[in-house]
Formats: sequence, structure tokens, C-alpha cells
Amino acid sequence: MPWKDGYTISDEIGLADHDLHWPDGKRCCVLINVDLSIAAGPAGITATDLASPAAEFARHDGLTQLLTVLRRHALHATFAVPAVMARILADQLRALMEAGHEIAAEGLRHEDVSGLSHDEERERLALTTQILTEAVGQRPAGWFSLPRQEDPFAGGTISPNTIDLLIEAGYEYFGNGLADDIPHYWVSDFASRRALLTLPYYYHFDDQFFLLFPRKGTGLENADMLFRNWKAEFDAQYQRGRLFHMTLHPQGIGWCNRLQVLDDFLGYLRSLPGLWNPTGAACARYWRETYPERTHLRLEPSIWQDYPGSLS
Amino acid sequence: MHIELAELTRVAQEYDARHQFISSITWPKDARIAVNLTVDFDAMLLRRLLNEPAMQLAKGEFGGRVGIWRLLELFESHSVKATIFTPGRICELYPQAMRAAVRNGHEIADHMWEHRVPKEAALEQDHLLKTAAALEKVAGRRPVGTRSDHTRALLRSEGFVYSSHDSAAQLPYYITDDGTADTTLLNLPFHYAIDDAMFFSFAWLGSGNAAQRITDPERVFEMWWAAFRQQYDVGGYLNVVMHPFVSGRALRIAMLDRLIAKMKTLPGVWFATCEEVARHCLATCPPRNG
Repeated sequence: MPWKDGYTISDEIGLADHDLHWPDGKRCCVLINVDLSIAAGPAGITATDLASPAAEFARHDGLTQLLTVLRRHALHATFAVPAVMARILADQLRALMEAGHEIAAEGLRHEDVSGLSHDEERERLALTTQILTEAVGQRPAGWFSLPRQEDPFAGGTISPNTIDLLIEAGYEYFGNGLADDIPHYWVSDFASRRALLTLPYYYHFDDQFFLLFPRKGTGLENADMLFRNWKAEFDAQYQRGRLFHMTLHPQGIGWCNRLQVLDDFLGYLRSLPGLWNPTGAACARYWRETYPERTHLRLEPSIWQDYPGSLS
Repeated sequence: MHIELAELTRVAQEYDARHQFISSITWPKDARIAVNLTVDFDAMLLRRLLNEPAMQLAKGEFGGRVGIWRLLELFESHSVKATIFTPGRICELYPQAMRAAVRNGHEIADHMWEHRVPKEAALEQDHLLKTAAALEKVAGRRPVGTRSDHTRALLRSEGFVYSSHDSAAQLPYYITDDGTADTTLLNLPFHYAIDDAMFFSFAWLGSGNAAQRITDPERVFEMWWAAFRQQYDVGGYLNVVMHPFVSGRALRIAMLDRLIAKMKTLPGVWFATCEEVARHCLATCPPRNG
């Protein structure tokens, strides 16, 4: 096995709290992701998904409510947008950009690409980039593959080629990595140190896993737990001087009592000084300038050995 | 019908006969409770073994590059020693973290080679020996404990003195295959309710989406504190199971920090390694066939 392929995607040790600095002496970075996909499962957004009351709520009332709360607290977000949603919501997306939010890509229809051939995935990636660029008049800098409600795991899905294809297509960052709680480099080839900056994601700070999850019928409605998770993580990361991130879905968090939970939490967050609230692209640019991979990606030589009777 | 009932009774009696319980124990220095903080440092190995997708592996990787370091810091800040159950392969993935754990005086114990126990006897022995050699190389001594389903006869013949697995009693107990000393091993029980992954790891142990019960640190804090208090009052034992990829997240390190600090406000709490607890049990409450 070359290096630690199939086991790790980055270097052995993450950046310690005391080595972490934000612009202008800010204390904690706050990243807010809004997922504009309403895909139920790995197939990505279907006609059934789009022609539903939940989707209608996500496109109109829910999105409006969510934006009102973000505006009230003067916070910026990065919107993960599947190409099909960029076609449907082109006017809203342009308004979002004008308000200082970022529009990032999330596949053609937020489909699971893990089984696609290299060429098929490359073609879809190019088409996604083209549609988003046409819709908002600017090339997306970031790419997300956030989890869908019916996925078997809560991390999002990519193929073995995705990171390499994103680098080739000129993307500046991948939006939902789980190997760290701050930006880190996702290495697609250890020999050449080819890597893509990756921003952190974790499902415990994603509204969809606490608000009627799974969507139909288990009664897991724990907005209070979601609030406590957000607050506990924010307090801990603020103390450490690191980064807090959250992922929101208009169809979930936009609804009455849940919206209040968001409003209360963001009010608390805003009450503390020293927050830096960049878009994903601004955070990624700062990171690459301050912690360039040339000096900060420290790949230890592999001591891995293959043995008969063991996985390699 | 009578035959079936007799058969069921026999099964229960035979299972009983394989256990020797300790009814009460006096901890060193008159401590009221022994607490084992135990870390299952498998990072992404189990995810890899089960062929789970890339993001699941990355979720586990957090434990190696971030989580383990935070747990070591946490234990250091409270001056407590933990037991780190480590798959042999981890020594090749995270040698620096392993050396740091040894430097800080924690116990390094077996957690299988690549998080599985092969069914073939020769390969099982090969995995146990490879793990023991890998851990010995880092720690300077062979492991004496395991968290695994390794065969007890094999463990005994390789010098292991305890396992930490299952929950057939609240105090440590002995379990045997055939009643002989060669297959009798002390077990330090842990319960799934005192295991971080049950509450904080999506799809744990193959659970489907409708079975998810992910929760928040405050609720788990209350639960674990209640477990500790109950065992403190009866002069018992608590084994807290932490995975670096789960408990290493900042919000949970903060919770564990509060939990350990609160435990320390009471007199007579013995924070020990599993080996220390095991050797005390073996010395003061030996098995009948020991």
C-alpha cells in the first residue's frame, strides 16, 4: 500500500490551538453553510422531491425566514447549490450574492457520484460548474457533497476521483470534510502531494439530523438537543480560539419553533466579541495564504507494511 | 415440553458455571470507587474493515489527528492515567500519538490487530502476537489486557491477565471456558450506556437511520454522573469508554472535563489504569481455580 491510502486523507497531526490565528486578531471563525438541496436520497433531487410541500416551503417561506434571521444577526453564509436548484432559484441566488453570501456547487442534482466512471463524473462536474456560472455570473469556488436524509451514513458521498477532479476543474475548496474541525488539506496523491483545501463539517451541527429525522415517522424532533450541541461546540471552540461551523436546511430550520432556536443561538453567538464570519471561499483563501500546504502539510514517511492475512 | 425446559435450565446453569462473581471488594487506600477511563483508539480501522465510504473513514481519521491528542491533554490536566486499547495497526498509522501516550504514563492494551479476531486459530494467534509486538515496541512492555473476543486460552498462554468487555456484572468478575485456570480470565466490565459512540456516532454498530438516537453532551453528562454516583454509593466500579473520533470533538472534551472535575470533588475516587484495577482484584479476590 503506498503511504496510508484507503486509511487517511491528510497528515498525521492537526494544527494545535496555539498555532491557530485568525485575521485581525479575531478569536473564533464562524462558518455557516446553507444546503439548498432537497434531495431525499442518493439519487439526488427528483421530480417527486421538487413537487412537494416541503420543497415549496424550502424555496419560499423557509428560505425567507432563514435569511431574515441571518440578516438580523448580520451573518454571512455559504449556500451549497445543486445545478438544478441554480436554474430554479437563479434570481434568489443573485440577490444572495449581492447580500454578501457565497454560492457554492453541490453537484448536478446532489446525486451520489461514488459509483460513476471517471469520465462520467468529470462531465457532470463540468456541466454543474457551467450551469452555476451562468445562473449567478460567477464561477463557484467551493464544492459540497453534503449528506442526504436517506443516505446510510451522515457524511456525504464522493467517489475515489472526486477530489482530483475538483482540483483539475480549478475548485478552491471542498466544503464538507470530517477529518478535522478546522480547514485541512485533502491529499489526492501522496507522491506528488496533490491536495485540495477542505473545510470542516460534522453532522452533530447539521439541523437535518435533529428535526424529524428520518423525515417520515420516527418522531426524532430534538431542536433542544441541536441547540445544546451548537452551544457546547461554539463555547468550546471559542475558548480554544478555533472554528465553529453549522449546516442549515431552509425546509428544516425555517419552521416556527426551530427558527426560534436558531435565532436564540445566533443571538448568543453574536453576544461574544472577536468573531470572524467569512464565506467558505474567504476562509479558504485566508487559510492557503497563512497555512500554505508547502509548509503546513506534513506528510510523515509511511512505516506501513503489508502482511499476509491482513488488510493492506 | 419438559425436555425443552430442562434443556433451557441446563443452558442457564452452564452459563452461570462459567462465571465467578466478586460480591464486594475493598479498593486500595479505602477508595469508595475505582474509575477506569478507557480509550478505544481504532480511529478509522473498523470503518475500513467494514468497507464503509470515504467520509466515514475521514470521520474516524479525526480521532488520530485531533481527538487522541485532546484526550491525552485532558487526562494530563487532571493528572489521571487511562488505558488505551489500541489495534496493532494504529502503531503504523499514528506512531507519534502512541509515543506521547506512553510518555504520559498511560497503559497501552490490546484492541486486536485490525479490529477483528480471525476465526482460524493460527491467524488469530498471528494477529494477537503481531499486536503485542507492535504495542511492545511503542510501550517498552507487552500488553497484559485486551478489549476483544480473543480466545481466553490463547490470551492466558500469551500472558494476558484481564479483558475489558461485556457487562455480566457491575464489579469485575472472572469468566472461564472450561473451569480450568488456563481459560479463566478477569473481566473489567463496561456497559454500552457508558460508551460515547452509542450517543454520538451515526450508524454505530450498523444501526439504520430510523434507529439513530444522537444526542447532546449535557444529557450524557447527567447519565454518566448518575451512573458514577450510584456506584460510588455502593463501593463499586465504573468503566468509561471513549473513542478519540467521538469524544475528541471539542464539545465532548469540555463535557468530559466537567465530569472528571466533578468526580474529583468527592473523596475516595481511585482513577486507575485497567491493569492496576486488575492486579488489585487478582491479589485481593483471586479466582477459586486461579
